[in-house]
Amino acid sequence: MAYDISTWVNLAAFTGAGIAMGLGAVGAAIGEGYTASEASVAVSRNTKLSGDVFKSMLVGQAVAESASIFALVIAILLLFLDVPNPTLVKGAALFGAGLCMGFGAIGSGVGSGFPGGQACRGMVHQPAMASRLTTNMLIGSAVCQTPAIFAMVVALILMFVDFSSAPLQPTWAALLGAGVSTGLAAIGSGIGGGLAAGASCEGVARSPEAVGPVTTTMLVGQAVSQTPSIFGLLISFVLVFKTFPETAALQTAMALLGAGLCMGFGGIGPGIGNGMAAEGAVRWVARRVDHAGDLMRTMLVGQAVSQSTAIYAMVISLVLIFVV
Amino acid sequence: MEAIRDTQKRYGSAAMALAIFAGLFFIIAGYKPIAKGLILGTLFSVLNFVLMGETLALRVSPSRARSSVLSMGTAMFRYLLLALPLIVAVRNDTFDLVSTVIGIFMIQLLVLGDHVAGALVSRRKRDD
Repeated sequence: MAYDISTWVNLAAFTGAGIAMGLGAVGAAIGEGYTASEASVAVSRNTKLSGDVFKSMLVGQAVAESASIFALVIAILLLFLDVPNPTLVKGAALFGAGLCMGFGAIGSGVGSGFPGGQACRGMVHQPAMASRLTTNMLIGSAVCQTPAIFAMVVALILMFVDFSSAPLQPTWAALLGAGVSTGLAAIGSGIGGGLAAGASCEGVARSPEAVGPVTTTMLVGQAVSQTPSIFGLLISFVLVFKTFPETAALQTAMALLGAGLCMGFGGIGPGIGNGMAAEGAVRWVARRVDHAGDLMRTMLVGQAVSQSTAIYAMVISLVLIFVV
Repeated sequence: MEAIRDTQKRYGSAAMALAIFAGLFFIIAGYKPIAKGLILGTLFSVLNFVLMGETLALRVSPSRARSSVLSMGTAMFRYLLLALPLIVAVRNDTFDLVSTVIGIFMIQLLVLGDHVAGALVSRRKRDD
């Protein structure tokens, strides 16, 4: 049975929508579950403060689930998008958009749960710092959403840029590669940013007087944790906007798809690793605020070393795109 | 649960008021689809926030696995609800899609704006 191009494009869009929403809901649910679980620990320790804990949990979860709402928006657009000139390249772009948003929302959803959970716990230890804990939690959660926003930007580009003049071979592979590059790389950065934000809430509760250095270290640590997802975004842009000449050789297409996979998978570990370095530094800045400068330097050196594997992945991706 | 209701009332009413005022501005300026999209999106954003608060007690469980499963279930239900304005905006040209999406994030934008503004004001007071 032969299908026309329009059917294939619809098939790609519907599958992409399913992947976007299915994977997009996973991260937020895990993050919200973590926050809820920590909230129940906090309430069990001091039932009198349950109102404040629930309030913090509600506000934190509202921000934390943004990543999955991004996924919902992309999924609905994929389901109901009107494609005026359906081509197989467009089908690949729509499927890539779904992959990008689905993977890209996982890390931000999980990561946003950490500051939410630690803020609920901290509120019981330091009720007087409730407002500051909520602010730190919200800022930390908002920064965690950055990789998901990158994924949404790439998904929207894949959906709305006109690829009708691009040759099928090897563009289909470049567009799928663009989707997985940002999507997968966003996982590590989202989780890593969450680890730093969680430690900051724990730190503020432990040492309220260290709130300034703790917040500064958190923000610097989170910024570096986002770098692998920026590398992923860069490779995606190259794959989407570079013009590839038509070729019958399958290895060219595989090289482009490989470039996206290389940067995507290569960005997961460094994102989480950078977050761990930031988590440790933030936690200890709260305990030894007089050594905040040394701890910041140690964190940045550790993150730079952890980052090197993402740089290797980016170099290999660029070789696959421009040399192979 | 009184604290949750107060939070819902505070952000829910502020979000609706902001959407209606902005909507009026856009209607006067001649951008009726933007106004309708913004108000529709905000309405469902508030509904989602209310449902999120109402299911909080259900989701708080000592078991992390149970909390995650319950979170997933309630989230899927709320996302189905949030999909409605998006489908309306995609299918109907009288609603602007971009403003509908902005409306859906109205609660999140207000919560963040409120706390960031509060933190800036308290820092300025401390500096003075």
